[in-house]
Amino acid sequence: MAPRTLPIKKRGFSFEVFMWAFTRFTVFAMYGLILAGIFGALIVSSKTGAGFGDILYWAFFPTLAENPLGQIGMTVLAKLMVIAFVLIACGHGVHGVLEIFDDYIVSARARHWARNVVITYAIIASVIVIYIILSA
Amino acid sequence: MGSNRNISLPAGIMYKGGPAFLTYMLHRVGGATLFIFFTVYVLSLLGLGSMRALMNNWLFLTFILIFGLFHVINGLRISILDLWPKLMLHYRSIIQVEWIVYAAVAGCALFLLFTRTFGG
Repeated sequence: MAPRTLPIKKRGFSFEVFMWAFTRFTVFAMYGLILAGIFGALIVSSKTGAGFGDILYWAFFPTLAENPLGQIGMTVLAKLMVIAFVLIACGHGVHGVLEIFDDYIVSARARHWARNVVITYAIIASVIVIYIILSA
Repeated sequence: MGSNRNISLPAGIMYKGGPAFLTYMLHRVGGATLFIFFTVYVLSLLGLGSMRALMNNWLFLTFILIFGLFHVINGLRISILDLWPKLMLHYRSIIQVEWIVYAAVAGCALFLLFTRTFGG
């Protein structure tokens, strides 16, 4: 039996369609940032002599490792890319976690609380990550 | 509005949805795994020693790699099918290709992790 699919033009614009588009957009943004990060780290690695793994490790854990990049411009760019990745991943994850909660939490009130808790958590975690990465 | 479904966990797990249902369930498990990873990541950035130790624990990383990589690769399949709905006709074959890609990627990642952890 052929699967039923509805063309995007006929889907209208509801909350579900918006969240579907948002989830897809964040997915492609993450894939793009991963590819850009890998190629960027490879280019910087070849120019500065710093290890590819060291660059990625420092980019995500700036408080645990020494900065292998001497150039300020590269450092700021790497930090901005990591922050963008974390924010996009957080947005994508919030939608995913809420969808799982909606499937398993029956009470409307509990769903409401779950949404508030998850969204608050995501905002706080994002702020912490931005602050630590920028200040490191 | 609350859901009226009343399906027990064993009944849900035994649901005969085939490979598509298996990928659906594993995608959720992978998402939850990455959510845990994100939490540990934030806490380790905050400087919690136990979380830093967890980030370097090979068992934890193995768990994250197995389920996290599946989430990433399965997400790519879902996106491709969304962009080209005509491919839905061949979704079983596409899932088989996905498993091959996943086995190759996860195998390489785990090999690197175990080589680094246990030496060699």
